[in-house]
Amino acid sequence: MVNPVLLIVVPLGLAFLVPLFGLISKKTGKYFPILALLFNLLLTIKIFPQVLSEPIHVNIGGFTPPFCINLVAGPLGILLAFLIALVGLLVAIYALSYIKEKNEEKYHILYLLLLTGATGVVLTGDVFNLFVFFEILCISSYALVGYFGDKAGVESAIKYLIQGALGSGFILIGIGLLYGQFGTLNMADIASNIHSVEPISIFVPLVLMITGFGVEAAIFPLNAWLPDAHSSAPSSISAILSGIAIEVGLYAVVRIVFTVFGASSIMMFLLFLGVLTLLTGELSAFNQENIKRMLAYSSIGQIGLIVFALSIANMNGITGGLFQLISHTLGKALLFLAVGYMIVHTGSMNISSFEGMGKKMPYTSFFFTIGALSLVGLPPFIGFPSKFMIVKAAIFKQEILYTVLIILVLTATVVEAAYFFKVIQAIYFKGEAKKEKRNRAPFKVLIPLFIFAGLILIVGIYPKLITNILESSAAELISRTDYIKSLIP
Amino acid sequence: MRKLLGIILLAVIAAGIALSLEEIPFGISKTIIGDYFNKNGVEETGATNMVTSVVVSYRGFDTLGEITVLFTAAIGLGALLTGHKKREHSDKVEPSSLIVYTGCRFLFPVLMLVGTYIFIHGHLTPGGGFQGGAIVASGFLLMYLGCKGKRIKFKASKVIEVLGGLIFVGLGIAGLTMGEDFLFNFLPKGEAGELFSAGIIPIIYIGIGLKVGSELAGIIDNLIEEST
Amino acid sequence: MSFAEFLNNYMYYIGAFGLIFIGLFILLTKKNLVKVIIGLSIMDTGIYLFLIAIGYVHEGTAPIFSKPGLNAEGMVDPVPQALVLTAIVIGVAILALALTLAVKLYKHYGTLNLRKIKEQKW
Repeated sequence: MVNPVLLIVVPLGLAFLVPLFGLISKKTGKYFPILALLFNLLLTIKIFPQVLSEPIHVNIGGFTPPFCINLVAGPLGILLAFLIALVGLLVAIYALSYIKEKNEEKYHILYLLLLTGATGVVLTGDVFNLFVFFEILCISSYALVGYFGDKAGVESAIKYLIQGALGSGFILIGIGLLYGQFGTLNMADIASNIHSVEPISIFVPLVLMITGFGVEAAIFPLNAWLPDAHSSAPSSISAILSGIAIEVGLYAVVRIVFTVFGASSIMMFLLFLGVLTLLTGELSAFNQENIKRMLAYSSIGQIGLIVFALSIANMNGITGGLFQLISHTLGKALLFLAVGYMIVHTGSMNISSFEGMGKKMPYTSFFFTIGALSLVGLPPFIGFPSKFMIVKAAIFKQEILYTVLIILVLTATVVEAAYFFKVIQAIYFKGEAKKEKRNRAPFKVLIPLFIFAGLILIVGIYPKLITNILESSAAELISRTDYIKSLIP
Repeated sequence: MRKLLGIILLAVIAAGIALSLEEIPFGISKTIIGDYFNKNGVEETGATNMVTSVVVSYRGFDTLGEITVLFTAAIGLGALLTGHKKREHSDKVEPSSLIVYTGCRFLFPVLMLVGTYIFIHGHLTPGGGFQGGAIVASGFLLMYLGCKGKRIKFKASKVIEVLGGLIFVGLGIAGLTMGEDFLFNFLPKGEAGELFSAGIIPIIYIGIGLKVGSELAGIIDNLIEEST
Repeated sequence: MSFAEFLNNYMYYIGAFGLIFIGLFILLTKKNLVKVIIGLSIMDTGIYLFLIAIGYVHEGTAPIFSKPGLNAEGMVDPVPQALVLTAIVIGVAILALALTLAVKLYKHYGTLNLRKIKEQKW
């Protein structure tokens, strides 16, 4: 049996080693993320069949919980770790030729540390450890957003940093209040004692922690940093931020609300927040001129949809929410990577400068179209079964409120289709008719795009490939007593 | 207007926190894990400083995350401040006034000694890797104040920093290869109160002290380069 | 209870949250970037003080067994101190990054007034 600690420790050790190799030769830095993420990918595939039946618990330091830190590798954790490793590997291959600055080894160190922090967040079983790994994720993303050092990047980075640091402060106050009331920091321990105090005194830590993690998860009033940060970062980093960082932030919120607090009364509030986030995101994306800003607002909208699905809080809803999370990660990463090279070739981020791209960069435009159609939710791509599952879950509740909200969700989908079709129309059907010189993206860049598009197509046609994994993950979230019992017999 | 809104928001938050602070009386022990650590810490880990045994042994994974955070910030700083060229010592090394220069020359080895003492004795007395590393870095800051233009050797500080981090991760993985858990305390615990006791704890703290000292000195160096 | 008893019991909490609210107020209302960063640092200090105050036991001493016969009952809780050690280092890292970004921002814009640094349109 392999130890899931290696998922966190091996990338960390390799990240510490990179500066040493950088002293010898500057060119070896860019292969380290690929090595580390390949190892992570193979390890998660190997552990997968085992965790579907029973989660693996790892104690760090040789003591017994709650007197030590423990990792809980359940189906949800390993699924997200697999997703992080897969998307990270593909974007690292893309970045081999996309990042060409002088200091490029520092980019790769920060990139590897971001993914290590994300893997740590999804695998941990201790509240303060969650905070520490979450900070690793956040600080690397602050540095990476401002990596190019230009005017827009630095301004977005400082605004992101201040809001993120404020959120981290709130999380710490929440952890302090929790420790003061329960005397322990282990998630299962707190979860088993949570109902022994009055609800009013755990309401404040719950709200503080949702606010703190919600800054990174981009829930409605807290996402003012997102459009600036995702549009000014380098395109490979925008793909990672939109595809992994906000999903991991959302995982932290979900873990706190479902497993630690077991709060079913706050679901209604989260339901409305989700729909509000969805509407503001999609409507703001509609009249954007800058393509990356448009994709950033679309990310806000999709996160709103995932929050809505997760707050329905029955089996179908949570499975649909997790499915939508996977579909958004794959689709948005594909879109940002494709757009990255289009921007390199035209030199501008306006949609109007993409006219005629269909002939100049045929493969890249084709992959962009696949990503866009998948995000809108058309068959045979992965967006269709995920959105269908969410709609089915809401209708099964058979209450008038959910029906009204589903109509709002479908309206937002129509708006989404409108602005994506605007871009596709500009790429394919506009532009001069004279023969342009073909300007294909380099081959190394097309491989990750091809793999993403392939996965979107395959899982879209056979969603049964992953539905049983998603159902085990949803079962882990819903039945918190099983989580507690497996730790404290 | 903005100030009024701010005050109202803070009043709401204050009311909420005051409500939940009723449950946390001041001065009464309300911890389950803290009592266990105080009672059994000396036998299980061999260190006499309980805070050290919590930081390095019981919750050692958090400390690993913490040095990673500092490492990330140092690399991020290096990536953003690209104003430096390859450093040579051919810059003019001109000392400041005589009193500052002499004072710095006198204090620098004293500060190094105090910092090293603190992080080596982390398991016996208050202190530890982070505190000692910060004092070592302030010794380097004093050196920058004393002579304009003197820089630390870039390669040496990078090598020390990497070695410090690898000591920690390596000791953890050594615990794994012996069949026990990550960060298991596999060296003999010795007698409590001696310098060579508590298994891997002093070695980890030496690694952390070296890493933090050279990292903070590197951060100061980056910022001073930027301003010249 | 009387005012003196109330103050004796809750003084540390009032002090810690006072610092947190001062820091929050500075963060929300000030225009200069360096002042905002100082406000962030003040808020962090307040949070550390709050965390340590949770672990206090009346008439307790530091949890160090310097002499062989010390009693484990009269010692304060070591866990919040470990949490605060980690949190201080994380706070330092955020502060270093924020100040670097402020240096670069000044190079680009020539001013540190947050109301004027608004290049990104809606």
